[in-house]
Amino acid sequence: MRQVSSENLSLGLLNPEEKAQLKRRQRGGKLLYSLSLIPVILAVGLIGILLTTVFLDSFSWQVIELNNSGKAFKSSEANTWSAVIKADLAAQGQSQSEIEALFADKVELDKFAARNRVERVWLPKSIYGDEGGWRFILRNSRDKQVENLGLFEGRAELPRLASSLKDGQLLILHPWLNISFLNRNNSGKAWLAGLLTALVGSLWVIGLVIVISLPIGVGTAIYLEEYAAKNWFSQFIEVNLRNLAGVPSIVYGILGLYAFVRFLSFGPSILSAALTLSLLILPVIVIASREAIRSVPDSLRQASYGLGATKWQTVASVVLPNAVTGIVTGVILAVARALGETAPLLLVGGAGFVSQMPKNPLSSYSVLPTQIYSWIGAPDPSFDHVAAAGILVMMMLLIALYVVAFLSADALKNGNSLNDDF
Amino acid sequence: MLNAKDAIRSLGLDKRLSRNRGENTISLLLLLCASLSILTTLGVILALSSETWSFFRDPAVTLKEFFTGREWTPLFSGTQQHFGILPLLTGTFLVTLIALIVGIPLGLGSAIFLSEFASDRLRRSIVPVLEMLAGIPTVVLGYFALLTLTPFLQSFIPNLNIFNPLSAGLVMGFMILPTISSISIDSMQAVPRRLREAAYGLGATKHEVILKVVVPAALSGIMAAIILAMSRAIGETMIVALAAGQKPTFTFNPTETIATMTSFIVQAATGDQPAGSLPHVRSMRWGRCSL
Repeated sequence: MRQVSSENLSLGLLNPEEKAQLKRRQRGGKLLYSLSLIPVILAVGLIGILLTTVFLDSFSWQVIELNNSGKAFKSSEANTWSAVIKADLAAQGQSQSEIEALFADKVELDKFAARNRVERVWLPKSIYGDEGGWRFILRNSRDKQVENLGLFEGRAELPRLASSLKDGQLLILHPWLNISFLNRNNSGKAWLAGLLTALVGSLWVIGLVIVISLPIGVGTAIYLEEYAAKNWFSQFIEVNLRNLAGVPSIVYGILGLYAFVRFLSFGPSILSAALTLSLLILPVIVIASREAIRSVPDSLRQASYGLGATKWQTVASVVLPNAVTGIVTGVILAVARALGETAPLLLVGGAGFVSQMPKNPLSSYSVLPTQIYSWIGAPDPSFDHVAAAGILVMMMLLIALYVVAFLSADALKNGNSLNDDF
Repeated sequence: MLNAKDAIRSLGLDKRLSRNRGENTISLLLLLCASLSILTTLGVILALSSETWSFFRDPAVTLKEFFTGREWTPLFSGTQQHFGILPLLTGTFLVTLIALIVGIPLGLGSAIFLSEFASDRLRRSIVPVLEMLAGIPTVVLGYFALLTLTPFLQSFIPNLNIFNPLSAGLVMGFMILPTISSISIDSMQAVPRRLREAAYGLGATKHEVILKVVVPAALSGIMAAIILAMSRAIGETMIVALAAGQKPTFTFNPTETIATMTSFIVQAATGDQPAGSLPHVRSMRWGRCSL
């Protein structure tokens, strides 16, 4: 008997017409493979492009006129916040005793710090020669910003910028994301604007959201999984939750505006924002927690009942400890969503210009995404760079949250395989 | 003689009873938690319908103008004020359409690759990255559309406005990609193995199995994914508010500045207008759309 290998089948036994057809069909497979690979590459590539462009946008070339001494200090001359201020004031001609007096008066110093920003900038060596490199400067609200160009645009025009440089002007590469961006309040001037108020606002809101939505969300999940009889009521709650998960976030903003801001008269406060976001992420937490609770093997529950435990004792000491990783993953993902949510907060008061630190849940507030939104919308285009710096900070926070969630999901998988071994 | 109370005590049942009381309290508390979701729904319906009601009671608004008018200028005053919903509808339609044109092929393509071609390991490492795309805050996507994509597109399409539905829709297509792909992957993986094997047994090649067996069998899941993605696109706010503009225009031209229902709500909420009843009517409509 003749041995039929696949080679024979495809090449030997077929007539030319069939061979061509088979080739065509195989080509079709390759085509589908590459056609379906392209979207994956595009999607992953877009994330890369997005992060890269935002990072590049957080730098700009500037020609500035400093209102202070106008000096750029080497780190050997002054390299801390107070040293730069002291050096700059001395260069402006203030006496040592005046400077000492400023630093002794806490209130005056705070006011001074609000009007002035110590920054580390790059002076291009091609223009400044040995004087170039990283330098500290002291900027204040009365500085003039003559030019502000993007990273590549400015690089191309460096010769023109250098030749038109007047006395008292500095040509700098400004990294908008730096330490002083993180520890300053918001400001009407792009070069003084900082993220701190929004960052603290976000922490307040997220903290409250966790406090509010975690017990309610897990409670709902426990009720639906462990307590609810299979009747119309629990069915109704289930369907309702699924619908709520699909409601556009801005509708929650409208709800928050009417229920919390106006009806309960919390005003445009942190509390209103936290309650609104809690309602928004509740379905996410419930769905994740239910899945985690469902994955706890029934044998564990039966063992607990067999030992005489009541329902709640079983839930609290057997079910929840075994479901906790899944719940934590779900909560982290939900919190990540709340952290980046903008639209509903614009409706419940996150849109205003806030330069005061929030003090209690009823303070007015600004959070990272709404702060970024207002920077993008600001008429001065140099705020775009501030927005880019803000986006970088927010994305870093989010990526950190995702990594934690991913790791705990991995831990969950390992935990489950342990359970299977029993 | 023992009375009932003593009997209960002697059997240790009293403790059990108090335990039961605690149990009841807890189950009541849990029930309350669960009922909150119903309260939320009621709140949404109430907030939307009361606003709609007061909006239509305003004598300046007629139903006929609302559904047929081609101008939407409620933030103006006097005779310049018009309440035609059509510009907002066409704006929303335009952006959603572009998003779906981009999102469906990309989402389906990546679902086919990840479900049928990729190894388990590759899938496990790429799916979280795709999910991240859905997790990027939309204000960031709006920033990207406005400040990166639009200038890039303007070098090809010179008469493109700074604010345009084209770049908003393109970015939104990528936003809905993970929604489409992850649900499609699930439903393609759920296609029974014997169907594939029967097809292979009949001599079908891999791409024939995918296109003629797996995808048709998973079609209901894929359609559900597309509908979900569509409702996300309709309800999406920040990308359009930032990149598509806030000027209601009755047009189907993707290069002109428009406004959508959601972006108008943002405009009305962040402006200095007195708290008007105007924006909220439309939310009714996609409230219905998503329910």
